[in-house]
Parts: sequence; C-alpha cells; structure tokens
Amino acid sequence: MPRTKVLPALDTRETTAREPRWSVVVDNDPVNTMEYVTACFMKVLQVARPEAHRLMLEVHEEGRSVVWSGARERAEGLAQELQRWHLRAHLESDA
Amino acid sequence: MPEVRLTLTVEAREILGNLLRLAGPAAARSAVGRARVPGDDPELADAWRRGLAEAASGELTILSSALASAKGDPAVVILPDEAAGWAVARALTSVRLTLRETVFPAIADEALENEALLARMLPRLPAEQRHALACYDCFGLLQLALLARLGGDEIG
Repeated sequence: MPRTKVLPALDTRETTAREPRWSVVVDNDPVNTMEYVTACFMKVLQVARPEAHRLMLEVHEEGRSVVWSGARERAEGLAQELQRWHLRAHLESDA
Repeated sequence: MPEVRLTLTVEAREILGNLLRLAGPAAARSAVGRARVPGDDPELADAWRRGLAEAASGELTILSSALASAKGDPAVVILPDEAAGWAVARALTSVRLTLRETVFPAIADEALENEALLARMLPRLPAEQRHALACYDCFGLLQLALLARLGGDEIG
C-alpha cells in the first residue's frame, strides 16, 4: 500500500505593479489666440484640425484639457514641446 | 513650402524691432521661468530648462533678423521657409506673454480677452501700458497673418 504524502499548503500571492499613467495637461491663458493654440496642437500632438480645435475649445471653456495620456517618457516630450510653443502645459500622474 | 512674405508699415517695423531689442532677452528668460518642469529629477529638469531657453532664444533671433532685414515701404518681411515661419509665430507669442507679464500684469485675464472691456479701460491706463498694449495687438495681428499663410492643415 503506497504511503500517502501530505504536501504543505502553498500560499502564493501575485501582485502586479501597474505603471502610472501620465497626463499632459494644458491650462488656459488669456494671451494665446484660438488660432495659435489650434495650430500648436496640430503640430505637436500630430492631430487633425477638428481634434485640435476640440482640444483648444476645451482649454478655453473648461480652463484646462488633458491633451494626451500614457507613458511618462512620451508625456515629458510632449509637455516640453508644448512649452516650447509657449503653452501652459504640465504633467500629472495618476499614481 | 516656399518663403513666407509679410507686409507691414515701415513705422510698425521700426517700433516692433525696437521693442524686440528691449523685450527679447526678458522673453527668453520668461519662457523658462513660467514653465512647470518636473522636479523629481534634477538632471532632467536642467536639460528641460536649457532646451526651453535655447529654443526661445533661437526663435527671437529669427524674428529680430527678419524684422531687421525687411526692405521697402511698406516693409516686406521674408521668412525663408515654413520652419522659420513657425519659429516666428512662437517668438511673437513669447514677446506677447512677456509684455503681459511685465508691463500690464494688473489687467485681468477677462479684460485682456474682451476687446470691448479693454477699450473702455484703455483711456485710464498709463501711457506706457497703452503703448505696450498697441505693440501686443500688433504682434498678435502679425501672428494671425502668419498663421493664415502657414495654414497648418497638414499634420506634421
């Protein structure tokens, strides 16, 4: 008769660390014209005019707009580029 | 895109050129000062600020040169290509922001965005602020004319 082997109970836990999501936020300012802000979004974010116009209106009417979200490195590049165009851009993290 | 041409009166060219000589250095500094730079990595922050300063300074140089080399009456400002056009558009914004921050910071945002409100305030403003506002408007009009030439319909 085979001997019964009792196995120790295993307690394994898995945790997955999610990379924080970074947002590029543009705040409204009273100096830049709607035309200029739309052009900035088209050039920097590489979006078509209707989307650039929508984002510009959001900035103008809501006071701010999240214009891009994703990995930190790309967010940093876009935020700096928007600042080079003299927009009030900054980064926010959901972490 | 071929060269971009903008026409402005000789007087406007001179006034804007003079203003640029005065406000240009401050504009390059302000571009860095107003930027919100991530603070958790000093090396990155330093490179970030350096990049902004170099970009702002380069754009202002292109604008100054373009105004200085404008010929004729009315003066014709010639920008050699689209990249120079966009650099000038950014420089014009940089100077407008600097005028707003240094000469008329007390004017409320709402007034600056509302022509009728601003027109009512204008007679009560000191001469220095009235002149700065005229230049601010002139730079804005020049930028709008430039944006119309550049279009920007193509992405990239």
